[in-house]
Amino acid sequence: MAEKKLEVRNLMVSFRTSNGRLQAVRGIDFDLYKGETLAIVGESGSGKSVTSKAVLGILAGNSIVEGGEIIYDGKDLLKLSESEFHRIRGDKIAMIFQDPMSSLNPIVKIGRQLTEAMILKGRARQKESRFLFNSYLERLRVNMIEAEAKEDAAKAAEIGAKCKNFDKFEYKHLALESDYRRRYSAASDAADDIDALTFEMSKNGAKDVVYRVNKIRKEAALSIGKYVVSDRAEELRGKIGELRSALDSDRKAKDSSYKNTSAVLTCIGDVLRDALAKTMPNFFAMGYYLTFSKDPLPEMPVDELNRFMRKYLDDNFMLDFIADAKKGLMYSANRADEKKREAIALLEAEKSVFNGNPDKKEWLAASDKMKKAVESSIDQLETVKDGVAYTFGESLRGSVELYFSSIDKNKRESARYAKEKARYDAIVARGKTPKAEVVPASVTDLDEAKEDILRKIDRVLEHYRERLSVANNRNFDDETVAMIDFLKANASGVVNKVTKSIAKAKAIKLMEEVGISEPRKRYNQYPFEFSGGMRQRIVIAIALAADPDILICDEPTTALDVTIQSQILELIGKLKRERDLSIIFITHDLGVVANMADRIAVMYAGKIVEYGTSSDIFYHSAHPYTWALLSSMPDLDTDDKLDSIPGTPPLMIYPPKGDAFAERNKYAMKIDFERQPPMFKISDTHYAATWLLHPNAPHVDPPKTVTDRISRMKNRRQESYGDEQ
Amino acid sequence: MATNNNEVLLRVEHLRQYFGSTKAVDDVSFDIKKGEAFGLVGESGCGKTTTGRSIIKLYNITGGDIYFKGIRIGAGLYDYKKKIEEAKKTPGGQAEVSRLRKEMKQAIYDQKHCDRQYQREQVQKVKEKYQPLLAADEKNSELRREYSRELRKARKTRLVTQIQMIFQDPIASLNPRMTVREIIAEGLIIQGERDKKELNRKVLEMLDLVGLAPEYADRYPHEFSGGQRQRIGVARSIIMHPELIIADEPVSALDVSIQAQVINLLNDLRDRFDLTVLFIAHDLSVVKYFSDRIGVMYFGKMVELADSDELFRHPLHPYTRSLLSAIPLPDPEYEKVRKRIEYNPLAEHDYTVDKPSVREVAPGHFVYCNDEEFEKYRAELASDNG
Repeated sequence: MAEKKLEVRNLMVSFRTSNGRLQAVRGIDFDLYKGETLAIVGESGSGKSVTSKAVLGILAGNSIVEGGEIIYDGKDLLKLSESEFHRIRGDKIAMIFQDPMSSLNPIVKIGRQLTEAMILKGRARQKESRFLFNSYLERLRVNMIEAEAKEDAAKAAEIGAKCKNFDKFEYKHLALESDYRRRYSAASDAADDIDALTFEMSKNGAKDVVYRVNKIRKEAALSIGKYVVSDRAEELRGKIGELRSALDSDRKAKDSSYKNTSAVLTCIGDVLRDALAKTMPNFFAMGYYLTFSKDPLPEMPVDELNRFMRKYLDDNFMLDFIADAKKGLMYSANRADEKKREAIALLEAEKSVFNGNPDKKEWLAASDKMKKAVESSIDQLETVKDGVAYTFGESLRGSVELYFSSIDKNKRESARYAKEKARYDAIVARGKTPKAEVVPASVTDLDEAKEDILRKIDRVLEHYRERLSVANNRNFDDETVAMIDFLKANASGVVNKVTKSIAKAKAIKLMEEVGISEPRKRYNQYPFEFSGGMRQRIVIAIALAADPDILICDEPTTALDVTIQSQILELIGKLKRERDLSIIFITHDLGVVANMADRIAVMYAGKIVEYGTSSDIFYHSAHPYTWALLSSMPDLDTDDKLDSIPGTPPLMIYPPKGDAFAERNKYAMKIDFERQPPMFKISDTHYAATWLLHPNAPHVDPPKTVTDRISRMKNRRQESYGDEQ
Repeated sequence: MATNNNEVLLRVEHLRQYFGSTKAVDDVSFDIKKGEAFGLVGESGCGKTTTGRSIIKLYNITGGDIYFKGIRIGAGLYDYKKKIEEAKKTPGGQAEVSRLRKEMKQAIYDQKHCDRQYQREQVQKVKEKYQPLLAADEKNSELRREYSRELRKARKTRLVTQIQMIFQDPIASLNPRMTVREIIAEGLIIQGERDKKELNRKVLEMLDLVGLAPEYADRYPHEFSGGQRQRIGVARSIIMHPELIIADEPVSALDVSIQAQVINLLNDLRDRFDLTVLFIAHDLSVVKYFSDRIGVMYFGKMVELADSDELFRHPLHPYTRSLLSAIPLPDPEYEKVRKRIEYNPLAEHDYTVDKPSVREVAPGHFVYCNDEEFEKYRAELASDNG
């Protein structure tokens, strides 16, 4: 199973308004896995934007988070302080907003807004990478020593030296590699630019020629380096020199096809393409060789050199280090498993406390004991943090405290209610109509609160048992390699510095990537000089600039036209694949998400009414609301009257008693107005909350528009597959 | 819903609208027949909204002519001025200059007095209706009052009020300080209607027509949801009983489920009042569903114009093809294999020698192309049909 990036559990958010408490989100659960796109679909007011804002910690001031957890990286985001959130927001979790104008600063130039985050986050990221690298290497060292050389001081010193060496040559490797990457990307940029420019020249339509040729010259010159363009460096330098005179002569001759220039450019392009096709040297091994070997690097072809260096590295250091690291990891994991067993025993024993009489001291002591046990059972060397275990302590203590504060609050509330009700009744008895209604007492159900505590304990128990049951199947060879890769990735985070000029280059590239023409000119403009679509592209570029882990897209393409929408969706899809991003995609238009969503959750009135994979939702949808959404949009073959959903969503200050959709639902039954339907399981991936799925419910087929479309789609697909064959 | 009526309601000829050096609309011509829905599509910034706004005279057009019901309501003077300057430079062009000046004067006159002819017609109509009635019943003061009221209204009527617009943004297009009643009645008041009862009756009728409750009349726009606001916008334009409605992205800002409600409403009103609609939108599925004919615009030029079915079945211009290939469909399997076609004008066309113009490739199917492409498109169409 893929790694869980984000877990949302029983999230409840409401807003204080002058008319009462508006329940925007009423208990939703979902998981977001690494590299997947989860689409949340629903009408405006269904609570989809509120959910995403809760994840980013930017709920409006009048909001109340009534309960639930949002777990990211071992932390509950709902309990973080503002300063802790600063490290996550924008950097780890970024958001593309619905309205581009309100997410751009009107008095700051676009370029500045694009680079600002890159520079700031670049610095912060460097710091954090250094911290992670150092702390994990240190933990690894401690565990390696404990595993092998508890009493042997000499051996311990040897292991310490190994770790230090790893640190040392890793930085050498990164310095070499980042230099190579810079040159390589310059070369590939230049080659692409040359292709575009020569093509336009051949069509007599080249614009901005002087600037572009200069840019190519700079890039090509930068690409000359030891490992990129090395053997044909002289040739390339010569051609670059020729470029200027060729351009001058063309401009003098007023040749709109730039014959001479394009000939020289083609030569440069050939050299660069040739260089780009070469294999990359193994810089990791080379870093080690250059740091520790006394001999200079032998002259040989890259493949042979790679093999030679790899062997040198393995013989002298790597195999040994990996073996030690593996032992360290195993030691740490076994110890954590042992502690886990202890924690299970303790939790089982202490659980009975919560079934007894409520005694604040006793309960808090028990929860602290459990917290300690669970915390000590966490494997410190895990790179993917175990969210359940990390958040357990805080969350349990919070629940216990809530339980006891509720006792007092309930007393107060019911007293107030009794008093006000008596006054109200007195007025009614006198035959008058009172001006104000009595606000009902908001009493917390104590049994429910207790259940909540027990549920939290059970969740950890279940989770730990599951973990222990697969503990024997762990592959420590793979985990060791993953650990070393993790260290390498963090080390590269330290080396990759973001300066102003790098940020500018990156920003212009991003602007090009999101489809803004003349990015150089646009870079120095203000937001009001852009059209709506262009502004949205800028916002997307800004969100991507920080290279986030999770990207939340809140209706990013609603204001854009089809071509641009399609381009932007493709762009988001491409970035998702390249960077293994997890995306939460919020939209009201199901048509848009067919392209990119892996899973879809349909929301209505603050609840998820149906969720499943995208084929579940599009081909086998089961909830009447999903049917209504699907049938209300026209496609290219629609001729009949559209099936619009009558009415508007209910006002959530007074949430309806039964199913919130019942009022607008053609298929509503009596029970829909009385009780809320639970989630019925349709398949392992597909769930829907409608009474129609109850075994006693009458069988209802989806509306004809939907079934017709599905069969039409099927035919079309077969036709297009047929064409391919 | 196609009509067999061939009466041209609106004719746009060589419309140009320049803003400084930006050619927002560059030489666009099309006809809209009575009772049809004409769709304009294209990406943002291609000039489709500008075209709509130029027709309703929100801008002074740079060049070209706009005829509504056969009367010239808009004429651009830029072209005349340019031609006159050129004629002045050529030796012996004096006759040409005076001819052009005359034409220009006529254009200015037409634009200024386009309402006059229409007003005269309206006054005539009122007279024809009331004079026999009055002759039969001379002492009826009620009738006499009604007659003078109608006459005043007819004198004040302007031709362009027969063209109404529905705007894209339902929030920005409603005055937040006016009640719904005031917003809807404003047009009638300007036209000279003073009878409060009559106004009220008409406003309530319109509210009922667009599916809003009568008690909403005294509320303010901020109390409504997006879909309801758009309904108010529709009611405001329908109350003038226009013949042509320019709907500028009326559903783009709405939720899908509400979109369907508004589209159904527009369709009902079309049938009921025999409206002609210029439907501007970027959502191709909606345009296809709503329109009889579709014009595709690209960078201020109309690149293709055809019946909606024909356009979707046989798109000829590469830009149209690229546009059609970008439509997302609610089908994940199909979406996985869908390939968007990129459109790069430099790679697609070679207009260095052979200049392009709008040509009729098949009856009713116009494409912006040059001779070589014209032949190519014809061959493609023939092979598709054969």
